[in-house]
Amino acid sequence: MKKHLFSTLTLVFSGVLLSAQEVNFEEYDLDNGLHVILHQDNSAPVVTTSVMYHVGSKDEDPDKTGFAHFFEHLLFEGTKNIERGEWDQITAANGGRNNANTFLDRTYYYEVFPSNSLEVGLWLESERLMHPIIGQVGVDTQKEVVQEERRLRTDNAPYGAFFEQILKNLYTKHPYRWGVIGSLDHLASATLDDFKKFNKTYYVPNNGVLVVAGDFETAKTKKMIEDYFGPIPRGAEIKRPDVKEDPITETKFAKYYDPNIQIPAILLAYRTPGQGQRDAYVINMISTYLSDGESSKLYKKLVDEKKMALQILSVPIDAEDYSSYIVGGLPVGDNSIQDIKNEIDEEILKIQMELISEKDYQKLQNKFENQFVNANSSVEGIANSLAENYMLKDDTNLINTEIDIYRSITREEIMEVAKKYLKVNQRIELEYLPEQKDAN
Amino acid sequence: MKKYIVLAALSLFITATYAQINRTTPPKPGPAPQINLKEPARFELLNGLKVLVVENHKLPRVRLQLSIDNPPILEGDKAGVSALTGSMLGKGSKNIPKDDFYEEVDFLGANIYIGDQSAFASSLSKYFPRVLELMADAALNPDFTQEEFEKEKNIILTSIKSEEKDVSAIAARVQGALAYGKNHPYGEFMTEETVNNVTLMDVEEFYRSYFVPANAYLVVIGDVDFDTVKELVTEAFTPWTKAAPPSFSYTDPKDVQYTQINFVDVPNAVQSEVAVENITHLKMKDEDYLDALLANRILGGGSQARLFKNLREDKGYTYGSYSGIRANKFSPMRFDAFAQVRNAVTDSSVVEILKEIDKMTSEPVTDEELANAKSKYAGSFVMALEKPETVANYALNIETEGLPKDFYKTYLERIDAITKDDVQKAAQKYFSTTNARVVVTGKGSEVLENLEKVTFKGKAVPVLFYDKYANKTEKPDYNAAVPEGMDANAVLEKYIEAIGGESKLEGVDSYSMMAEAEMQGMKLELEMKKTSKDQFMQDVKVMGNSMQKQVLDGDTGYAMVQGQRKDLSPEEVAKIKEESAAFPELNYLAAGDVTLEGIEPVGDRQVYKLKINDSKSVFYDVETGLKVQEVSVQEVQGQQFTSTLGYDDYKEVSGIKFPFIIKQSVGPQNFEFKVLEIKVNEGVDASDFK
Repeated sequence: MKKHLFSTLTLVFSGVLLSAQEVNFEEYDLDNGLHVILHQDNSAPVVTTSVMYHVGSKDEDPDKTGFAHFFEHLLFEGTKNIERGEWDQITAANGGRNNANTFLDRTYYYEVFPSNSLEVGLWLESERLMHPIIGQVGVDTQKEVVQEERRLRTDNAPYGAFFEQILKNLYTKHPYRWGVIGSLDHLASATLDDFKKFNKTYYVPNNGVLVVAGDFETAKTKKMIEDYFGPIPRGAEIKRPDVKEDPITETKFAKYYDPNIQIPAILLAYRTPGQGQRDAYVINMISTYLSDGESSKLYKKLVDEKKMALQILSVPIDAEDYSSYIVGGLPVGDNSIQDIKNEIDEEILKIQMELISEKDYQKLQNKFENQFVNANSSVEGIANSLAENYMLKDDTNLINTEIDIYRSITREEIMEVAKKYLKVNQRIELEYLPEQKDAN
Repeated sequence: MKKYIVLAALSLFITATYAQINRTTPPKPGPAPQINLKEPARFELLNGLKVLVVENHKLPRVRLQLSIDNPPILEGDKAGVSALTGSMLGKGSKNIPKDDFYEEVDFLGANIYIGDQSAFASSLSKYFPRVLELMADAALNPDFTQEEFEKEKNIILTSIKSEEKDVSAIAARVQGALAYGKNHPYGEFMTEETVNNVTLMDVEEFYRSYFVPANAYLVVIGDVDFDTVKELVTEAFTPWTKAAPPSFSYTDPKDVQYTQINFVDVPNAVQSEVAVENITHLKMKDEDYLDALLANRILGGGSQARLFKNLREDKGYTYGSYSGIRANKFSPMRFDAFAQVRNAVTDSSVVEILKEIDKMTSEPVTDEELANAKSKYAGSFVMALEKPETVANYALNIETEGLPKDFYKTYLERIDAITKDDVQKAAQKYFSTTNARVVVTGKGSEVLENLEKVTFKGKAVPVLFYDKYANKTEKPDYNAAVPEGMDANAVLEKYIEAIGGESKLEGVDSYSMMAEAEMQGMKLELEMKKTSKDQFMQDVKVMGNSMQKQVLDGDTGYAMVQGQRKDLSPEEVAKIKEESAAFPELNYLAAGDVTLEGIEPVGDRQVYKLKINDSKSVFYDVETGLKVQEVSVQEVQGQQFTSTLGYDDYKEVSGIKFPFIIKQSVGPQNFEFKVLEIKVNEGVDASDFK
């Protein structure tokens, strides 16, 4: 009886908390400029330590591309206190895992550990920033690895060059115009000094955000962060490229021949606003409307019903200065890429001319809400979102409020944004074709 | 002066701020973390359904999990009735047709699944009331129709058929049947016959008997509040009629009196399935449950464990070798250590697995093994806690397995406290090499001779024989006598005669073939062209993209793998020349160095086995003379791989018989190519070999 009473009381209490439903976090700067975000969630004894550096392929010298991604490899090579090859062993012996990734605007490193190994994570990340060894052995090793990666993911993979080709055609001035993996020649000819200089410029505390998310004690953790990261000296202010593209006013046609494919693809790409802007969210909704899942418009029409396309794709590529929106498809049987293009244009025209149905709108809202919710289902995912929201969208709290932006987007707005950005004369049309056989 | 003091104070302050941390070695992990598991709130319906609610408001979503903790069910001569019941559930209800049900679930962005004694749903919390309603309706008011029944039955029958010759499926079935006995719920299995015994009425009766609330638990996790859950669940599940499932009695499985090999002959096997098994009595609430898990992890719990290191990394016998231990409150269970191994090392693998098990029981594990196993175990245990279903399952386990309330809260500490002695004791208690069954499923004609010589700890291990359905049987006879006067040349001549005769074959200047196969739902196309002038081209495409292409033109050639071109070495050229001869039998006959090794069964046929060279054998049907199979062994990076080509469905083209079905298996991969077209002396051009 007593027990029952108690649990009712608890419930009333938690009912009050219920309405909040948010990811709580705390953020501050160390004296050296390192931004710190703490998200405490003691429901599972798991902790993620991660650092995002505000350096991506766009920060590279046009004659030295591929550096940002190269560093993602190089900075696992070891530090003054961690010998070559030991990084992964230390992670495994503590029951954890680690990884890293690079994109146009940023590079991200993280570890996930049982929470009693939090200090190991902080030590690893502070060592990476404080004492990296940029030496010939590591550079040579990683040059090989990156070359392999480029072969595997870009040169030998069917359709592997599509992202690079889109960027190349969509941007003429902005440093988004070379891909993330960059040029192998640039890397091959780069000197040790070039790498040291890049490290000194971008791998500084005032260019990073440290996220600790999961199960920890706040006071103790702040102290440890201070101890491990505090002594790292602040770096010089970073100059960001400020390049404005001229608007595209006439359709640009491009062709690319991929030796790894048999089926051609048509890719239509549009330059759209940077990821922090409201219109970028609307574009995301349009993309989902067109091609996410088997009941989406393009999939249902082209793959399911008319059986004209083998595959349909629609990808918004979010980035800080500009985003890119790509929609396209692979024809099947006797259909041509022109047929696919016509069908896609017909659907885009519909979005521009009439409101999407109430039911589709509601389904879209449901999908976004589901996606949003599930993206934040692990502490690892939350850490990534927090860092990205702070660094690239200037609002850490978007982790809680981003869904409100989607909710507030109306059917009318979808139509307006489609009209504004998805114009035929503002896009590039990339014919992505199988490499033709030699004449003999 | 004053300034100095200030500076000194400041520097003191700074030193104090950045405490004396030692950066030269990794920080030591803290004590095992306490697990902050939420206590579920509970209530029970009058029909017996127990409901556990774990509120977690971090994300606006909810998960529903219904499990019915019935004792295992013996299905007997209607084995398959549970599978059929499960496959017919979750497809609408008496109140909502299947298509409408699917569409609504999709619109809500939700998932709903109903099994034969379980149900699951997930959705945004704002749709929780509707999703709960849909799930309860589908679970409690299923619409069993004859039409759906026939459809699902056919699917099950087709899958049984497709597994008829599947060595892994046969092995799994016999391993279970021998360990538990065929009259035990965990030992019985579906056959075409038992599935055909099941009627729609049986399905309805199974559902009525076992989909009942007496042992049912509904776990609701997520952004919900208890009062709402209580109200909605009470409304949705009160109509569930109170009932308890019928109970069964069956004899407990027992270990064999002495360690023995139980051999199952599968003539088409290119690898042997080896499993060493014994019966364990392990429940989650047992004191040494975690000790047993650790012992199993060190023996065979992954790529760091002993079995893997020995059988794969050290010996290269297999792609992987593992072990498994199972806890169950209703029944004794099976411990097993297993591997898929090459035919030639079947006997050695048996010995190595037995040795590794024995070493676990006779010697303590090393400090390093124990420490690594613990941290790996702790790490994955901890990381799994993030998933809401883990939290739900823990709450449920505490409830259903009779575990202490703090079982999971103290889990890591208890893992940490386990000693080498504890591990060895658990190994001694749960692993056996004295009363173990070694179930070997494989090709008797190749593996049995050595298997019968296996000794372990100085004692011979006797071999007993079973058929594919775990019935005792006689030792198969592999040595059918070769008829008088038959030799390799006679076999080759008979084959040449059978497919059209020497003069016909010699009249072939070129031929081309198109074939296709399915691989994981994708279409694989094969195009091949050959001429009598050492020209050869083979192109394998997946979904229209060329994956692998080989071209030979006289003494030069190249290979393209996923777009990358590589010229062939002289050795490769020689090998392809040999392999690509239009009718290699003509060459074998001319060379005269092929030997007849005897008669063997392949599938249902008796065949002559011709040894072409050390790495290749070819098999010809005794009766028809046709080529039915080629087996070759290749070495790639120190590992040996057996690749088998099977030929079937011979049809005549331009007076010559060609196989229209070509089956290829390499390791665990199987492809069945259906030939679409063969052309003789047409459709091949010199440019095909450029």
